[in-house]
Amino acid sequence: MMTLFLEKALRFFEPVGSFVLMVSRGFRFMFSRFRIGDTLIQMDRIGVGSIPIVFLASIFAGLDMALQFEVVMAPYGAKALLGKVVTTSIIRDMGPVLASLVMSARVTAGIASELGMMNSTQQIDALRVMGVDPLDRLVAPRLAAGLVMMPILSIVGDFLALLAGLGISVAVGHVPAPLFWSGVRDALTAQNLTNAFLKPLFFGFILTSIGCHYGMRTSGGAYEVGRSTTKAVVAAAVWILISNFLISKLLINIWGLSA
Amino acid sequence: MIRFEHVALGYADRPVVQDVDLEVPDGKTMVILGDSGSGKSTLLKGVLGILKPQAGQIEVNGSNVGDLEENELLAYRQRIGMVFQEGALFDSLTVGENIGFWLWEHTDWNDEKIEERIRTLLRFVGLESVIDKRPDELSGGMKRRVAIARSMAPQDPLVMLYDEPTTGLDPFTSRSICDLIRQVQSEFQVMSLVVTHDLHDAFRVGDLFSFIHDSRVILTGNREKIERSDDPFIRTFLST
Repeated sequence: MMTLFLEKALRFFEPVGSFVLMVSRGFRFMFSRFRIGDTLIQMDRIGVGSIPIVFLASIFAGLDMALQFEVVMAPYGAKALLGKVVTTSIIRDMGPVLASLVMSARVTAGIASELGMMNSTQQIDALRVMGVDPLDRLVAPRLAAGLVMMPILSIVGDFLALLAGLGISVAVGHVPAPLFWSGVRDALTAQNLTNAFLKPLFFGFILTSIGCHYGMRTSGGAYEVGRSTTKAVVAAAVWILISNFLISKLLINIWGLSA
Repeated sequence: MIRFEHVALGYADRPVVQDVDLEVPDGKTMVILGDSGSGKSTLLKGVLGILKPQAGQIEVNGSNVGDLEENELLAYRQRIGMVFQEGALFDSLTVGENIGFWLWEHTDWNDEKIEERIRTLLRFVGLESVIDKRPDELSGGMKRRVAIARSMAPQDPLVMLYDEPTTGLDPFTSRSICDLIRQVQSEFQVMSLVVTHDLHDAFRVGDLFSFIHDSRVILTGNREKIERSDDPFIRTFLST
């Protein structure tokens, strides 16, 4: 009975242990033997390839937020605060979370299916036989690319969302552009900027590490590759939302409730 | 010489093969035959040092593979050519990059020297014209040929391991792959272990044959000995 319980407990925690091991070894390779060529290729695939979808999502999020806030704030005569409210919402939460969720559908799915397919066609075994650690060649460059590209994409996406918000505020809300920009400047506090940088950095790690984890554990054929890709995307989305809340709470505890 | 002495190999506490005794003399090809899931490929993983024996020992040219440290395994594997089922070529790389992969990873050779080695190997397998193609542009037989060339990239091999080298190929292509396996053996005087369930291909490439059934080796010998066997499993295998 006890042995059965222990076996079940081990089976439950085994994926966690394997994830921690993969990430720690991946980081060790990243710092001990940085593969610049492979990392640049991954930065192109993960980052440059995601530009259209992330920027499109950011622009429409900016348009929509400015529109909704304008409708809510106008009756209170608070349209002068539109720039500050839109900026705070975008750079603290909406921008990083939206960009990461959009990226998870593309990047996490791509990594999980690529590595899963490599595993099921014995390409990863072939790497090992040729004396190359798959964590060095496959995982470390993807982790590095996610950590670099996600903040860049998210911050540029935030800027585009703000421009879109400015356009709607001026065109629909008749808010003077200088007034909107002064609100934007007010919102660029250390706390908000920390949110804007820290969250996508962490989300970049989640996107790539979860994709690698599920991909490296895939065995079997096309059905299994499909299954682990779906699991990876769902897990990445869930962990992005959970960690978004936790980081928000942590930063509020550190900085207080100031906007 | 490759020697298995009372070897058990498997995963965790579950042995896949047990009490295996085999001997492949220098320059000979042994074919491991058996039904699916009988542990044929597991023996290759033992020779590569990917799986450590749970019991017994595997010796290759006097070295006990189970005792080799990770860095010693890297040097050891340079002389072992492994051809995976369906090739296992890296599909993000070209044929040339696949063959040169090991050289770029582990040597300080310049690009010209590596390309020369790649072209030599491709000429050997009769495929020099596909150097810039990607694996998905190749037929099944061409992929196996490239995989054989890739497995010989580090240096001339001492041992060649083939995991189901003709599975999924038409009879004509299978025959040409078997001829290539013979050519590698005669040209480099390598010891080879070939895992297959195809008896015709086995007789084409092998000098010695070993049958695995229910996790154990049930018979080892030359073609004549196999054909004379009264073992019911082998009789069934031979008649199908």
